[in-house]
Amino acid sequence: MKTEKNDIKIKVCMGPGGIATGGADVIKVFKDDLASANIKAKIGKGCSLHKVGCFGLCARDVLVDVIVGKNKTTYQYVKPDMVPRIVKEHLIENNPVSEWTVGDDYYSFYNKQIKVVLSEFSEVDPEDIDTYTAVGGYEATKKVLTKFTPEKTIAIIKKSGIRGRGGAGFPTGVKWEICRKVESDQKFIICNADEGDPGAFMDRAVIEGNPHSVIEGMIIGAYAIGATKGYVYVRAEYPLAVERLTIAIKQARGKNLLGENILGTKFNFDVRLKLGAGAFVCGEETALIASIEGQRGMPRAKPPFPVHSGLWGKPTVINNVETLANVPYIIRKGADWFSSFGTEKSKGTKVFALTGKVKNTGLIEVPMGILLREIIYDIGGGIEGGKAFKAVQTGGPSGGCIPAELVDINVDYESLAKVGSIVGSGGMVVLDDTDCMVSIAKFFLEFTQAESCGKCVPCRVGTKRLLEILDRITAGKGREGDIELLEDLGNDIKLSSLCGLGQTAPNPILSTIKYFRHEYEAHIKEQKCPAKVCKDLIEYGILEEFCKGCGACLRVCPSKAITGEKKKPHIISVDVCIKCGACFDVCKFKAVKKE
Amino acid sequence: MITITINGKEIRLAKPTTVLKAAKEAGIKIPTLCYHELLRLYGGCRLCVVEVERIPKLQTACTLTTADGMVIRTESEAISKVRRGILEFLLINHPLDCPYCDKAGECELQDLVSKYGPDAGRYKEAKRKVPESHEDIIFTRNMERCVLCTRCVRMCESVQGVSALTITERGGRSKMEPFSPTSFNCEYCGNCLTVCPVGSILSRLYLHSYRPWQIDREAETVCPYCGVGCSLVVQVRGEEIKRVVPRIGVGLNNGLLCSRGRFGYEFIGSPERLKRPLIRTTPKKQSTVNSQHSTVTELFREASWDEALNLIADKLKEIKGIGFAGAQRYIEDLLGQGITANLISGLKHSEVIMVVGGDPTAVNPILGLSIRAAARSGAGIGIIGNAKGLLRTSRGKTLQIIPPAFKEAEILEYLLAEVYRIKGPRRENHALEQRIGKLSEKPPKTDVAGLGKLKDMLLGSGSVSIVLGMDVVQRTDGHRALFAIAGLTYLLEARLYLLSDRPNEQGLIDMGCLPDTLPGGRPLGISDFRRKFETEWKGTIPAKEGITLMEIIEAAKDKKIKAMYVMGENPVFNLPGGSYIKEALGSLDFLVIQDIFLSETAELADVVLPAFGWSEKDGTYTNLERRIQLLRKTVNNTSGMDDWRIISSVSNKMGYKIGYSGVEDIMKEISRVSPLYKDMTYSEIEKGKCLWPYNGEPLRGVISDIPLAEKKTHEYNGSLYLAPERVLFHSGTLSRRSPALRKIAPEPTLKIGVHHAEKLGLQEGDSVTVSTAWGSINVSVSIDNTIKDNKVLLSNNFEGKGVFSLLNFSIDKITKIPGTEGCEVTIKKL
Repeated sequence: MKTEKNDIKIKVCMGPGGIATGGADVIKVFKDDLASANIKAKIGKGCSLHKVGCFGLCARDVLVDVIVGKNKTTYQYVKPDMVPRIVKEHLIENNPVSEWTVGDDYYSFYNKQIKVVLSEFSEVDPEDIDTYTAVGGYEATKKVLTKFTPEKTIAIIKKSGIRGRGGAGFPTGVKWEICRKVESDQKFIICNADEGDPGAFMDRAVIEGNPHSVIEGMIIGAYAIGATKGYVYVRAEYPLAVERLTIAIKQARGKNLLGENILGTKFNFDVRLKLGAGAFVCGEETALIASIEGQRGMPRAKPPFPVHSGLWGKPTVINNVETLANVPYIIRKGADWFSSFGTEKSKGTKVFALTGKVKNTGLIEVPMGILLREIIYDIGGGIEGGKAFKAVQTGGPSGGCIPAELVDINVDYESLAKVGSIVGSGGMVVLDDTDCMVSIAKFFLEFTQAESCGKCVPCRVGTKRLLEILDRITAGKGREGDIELLEDLGNDIKLSSLCGLGQTAPNPILSTIKYFRHEYEAHIKEQKCPAKVCKDLIEYGILEEFCKGCGACLRVCPSKAITGEKKKPHIISVDVCIKCGACFDVCKFKAVKKE
Repeated sequence: MITITINGKEIRLAKPTTVLKAAKEAGIKIPTLCYHELLRLYGGCRLCVVEVERIPKLQTACTLTTADGMVIRTESEAISKVRRGILEFLLINHPLDCPYCDKAGECELQDLVSKYGPDAGRYKEAKRKVPESHEDIIFTRNMERCVLCTRCVRMCESVQGVSALTITERGGRSKMEPFSPTSFNCEYCGNCLTVCPVGSILSRLYLHSYRPWQIDREAETVCPYCGVGCSLVVQVRGEEIKRVVPRIGVGLNNGLLCSRGRFGYEFIGSPERLKRPLIRTTPKKQSTVNSQHSTVTELFREASWDEALNLIADKLKEIKGIGFAGAQRYIEDLLGQGITANLISGLKHSEVIMVVGGDPTAVNPILGLSIRAAARSGAGIGIIGNAKGLLRTSRGKTLQIIPPAFKEAEILEYLLAEVYRIKGPRRENHALEQRIGKLSEKPPKTDVAGLGKLKDMLLGSGSVSIVLGMDVVQRTDGHRALFAIAGLTYLLEARLYLLSDRPNEQGLIDMGCLPDTLPGGRPLGISDFRRKFETEWKGTIPAKEGITLMEIIEAAKDKKIKAMYVMGENPVFNLPGGSYIKEALGSLDFLVIQDIFLSETAELADVVLPAFGWSEKDGTYTNLERRIQLLRKTVNNTSGMDDWRIISSVSNKMGYKIGYSGVEDIMKEISRVSPLYKDMTYSEIEKGKCLWPYNGEPLRGVISDIPLAEKKTHEYNGSLYLAPERVLFHSGTLSRRSPALRKIAPEPTLKIGVHHAEKLGLQEGDSVTVSTAWGSINVSVSIDNTIKDNKVLLSNNFEGKGVFSLLNFSIDKITKIPGTEGCEVTIKKL
């Protein structure tokens, strides 16, 4: 006999955002409260408490789905101390706490999204292979191994039109086909999970949310190219991803999905984990290979490409996490289904990490070719705090800035490349009018300069020089000709660097110069930062007419630069001020000016 | 056949190569910096970028493999701009201290900037500041000049196989550093010096003492240190050798050298060199008693050449009587002449290399590099005994077998028996096979760990090389080991290499400096051969065989020999049983020593003649692979005399006319009389491709009468025993008078394993007295964790502290080789 309470499901977001905002504590309180409310006995039967992958809207974390029978209620911003009331009112008294549930705007975040890779995140417990097979997981493996030849498998992937989601966008099926045709006693498939772009966490979310989809993609890929060994190269800074992958590999071995004679066929394949040691450049495929081989993670010249001579000199396919996670769905649902999403040349969906100044930040999955406007205004809910939309930075340190006037472009490989940016791995940072474009460029150059491996001269020396010039400009010491020098230098570095890191490192500078040259000029010629970000170019002062003499600024000032009597206008001593901006933020009367 | 186009020029290639090499072949210059032909590809400097049709990005010519139909441009505005940019980048950090830098004049960066660089830099930011390091005894390291091409690192790692250098940090903070905090902690091969394109690694031997363009003259010659015979270039200013450098593409060493070859040249200018002929003044008996403390002036007076030569001629007329190459001779008797003449480069291509009786990386370092290269490319290396230098770069396939003391021959005999049992006879050399068969009937029993694996390795490969060091040969039962090695070589159809620590040893043998052979290895006993030389020399050659070195010494002791003439050898120090030899030579009526230093033996001489040293004379040098090379004179010595001129003069004074006018006359005679050197001329040798037998003269065959092995049992009580060590940095007389090598390794040390050091309570650097039944000396201790057995090792390279002085005078009755197998020893801490 089933009672209503037997159908209770509680799903707590344990994606990167959920964990960061205390998802684990929420789960713990839920467990304790359910136990003391005597619902314990039913956990695991009718009432289950799941940790699930990323819900997407990280800005509202911790998100919790409470499903009673067929009614789903989603709570946002859940803190542990809110749990007892949810348990009491919702689960015992059957009366959802309406003031904590999400509103209509929450659903608009999802409306324009199409979820493939992220589709089963709310169904699958990443640490339980059975929840994955319950939603059709590993069916694609079975299908491929028992019904398809490797050539047929490759044909399906080729037909789907999927291109590498790691950034370069090379057609996956073509890569597999080349590797298939290379004769060798040993081949490898590597999953590149060395996600390193600042602000990007797509791959992490996929591995932490549904690790089996990645492993399944690898099995299918290995079968297609003829590999018997696979590696997942994952950042050591992703301990949870490592843990969940470890569990997933063990479980897959237990079900004979990895190992010898997989599912009773003659196909042998196994996967090993290899942890990266924190070098961004190891995301570059040849550096990644060197790192797995135990050498210093430095790229080498291509050709020969890894499909011809990769790991230990053997033919090797390296695919990104998201690419591989797409593969089982393409096999299950067909190439036509997949290619029904997207544009002519960019098929399928793409996961983006939407961050920055939009209201709804989080992980989104959209069809290729969606308008940038739709992402920012419909999914992202527009700019926070009513400020003006200025630009979007896509593709991380290798990408560029797309200015507000181009908001109506399509988001796909070709269109973004045309305006000087890239899809990249999927980072998307929205900027408003308080962001200084020179500083944004500098931020990314600081990153690439620090991460340059030092092998080739243009990247090793060039990025450092680019950064030095930007340092100078943001410090108000820019010189006439610096912009041209940046452009010239940037183009030289792009042209002559060894690997993708160096070849794309100048992009953030070149694209900001292209669209925001006037900001550079203002820094150099007028020593002014239009967005009032560059410390050396701004001064704080107090507007007497607004100052109420409340003393709030005086109390927060770390350098004791503010003086003044109570209830009388205060004064900032420019010589002592360290321009931290604390006074500006604390003033309720907008009496602190920044110029 | 593929066709590519470079700069509009069509180029046909037999097989794919890199664009850089194809361009070079076609005479098209592409600038490079990180590229070096001896090193694995890197592609870091980006100077060699070229445009390739249908490839959107610029490609590095050094890494790009040519494909049929490829259209390449090596010069364009875009390419020039990139090259200018890169050089501008490099000069941002590279200090313009060329007036002060030793590299100026041969600096690759300097050359590149002058040809491809910008007029001026656009950056004004500060340069990298790193103080120059003088912490190492031989190298200075200047990281401001470093362009991070990693040539030194790649050289050290994948050619020398030592990995003493690395790049630390990353990006703009990268710098090249030795792994040890201060010194280079390495083999001091100096090959990093050769490849550094700028002045980042410099030799302190000549730091700031001259400029490359101030060299007066230079000559390509052969290294004086071991039997490998590396080519090198000696550069001289005034009469002083300023530098010794290898040259890429020249000689078998192709740009590589070892520490002795590169830094051991200073002996030639040593103040201890003999300058004038000396004639004894003090009676011999008196001086030998107290010879430790005697000086030149106490023993000798200076004399004119004429006086000295006259004295010798007179004395020799009155009295009326050579090297030991027994090992080679013994094996050649079994397997045929030239069986040990294998090209060193062949080692690299072996699948399995068995190393017995010494560390090739110490005895013949450049040959050792070929073994390391083979190990890197996956060859199995089986070591019997200690070969520390091969363990250093061992990959998984290196196997070391530690034989129990004095059981080396047994282990080899066991291997031979097993190989014969499994593989069966080859049916080519009946006499040899019969003897192997007999030995295999009762194979020695042994249970040494790893032996079965070694056997499988040897049997499992069709390409085996055997490298034999003298440690298992210079024994009273050395012929047993030699026989086993010969048998294994024969059955496995292996290439055999005999390590040789004596330069031009092979040349001496070829010239007939053996008791029973004529030049060209022709047996003395056959009258047809004798007749040929009698016609040439217009005299008679005694048919009776002479005696070997050790027999000569015994004969001297017994007063059967009255006079001796010793050239360039120091038997008192370099042979076991020093006090016995001293006594023997002391009882001669007349002893002539011709040398460059006053050696321990020279102190016993009646006349001492100052000879020319290496780099002061012309001649030829035959190495262990039978490669004949030219030795060239670079330094003028005004006080000594050429060896050949001294001998001619003595001969002339004795009444037999020798009328050579120069070394080429001698070579003409050699090419006339020696079937191995037939028709060889200096101009042919100069081309560097002369290996004997030149012109295909037949070699000496094998003998059918194999002398029986003598089984000797060593009474050995299982405690510590002393054995000779051959060290990388020294070889004896020459090296110990080279200040640089003395800096690297100043003193002899007693090497002892960890467990024995602990047992005796010894720590690194402790002083000990090492005593055997034949003598005792004081040395300091060095603990060596690669010694796992009961051996302690001591070298014979330092005056007054040679291991041979602690050993007995003994001889292998069959090979006539002196026995240096070592003996029981006691060690007392001081």
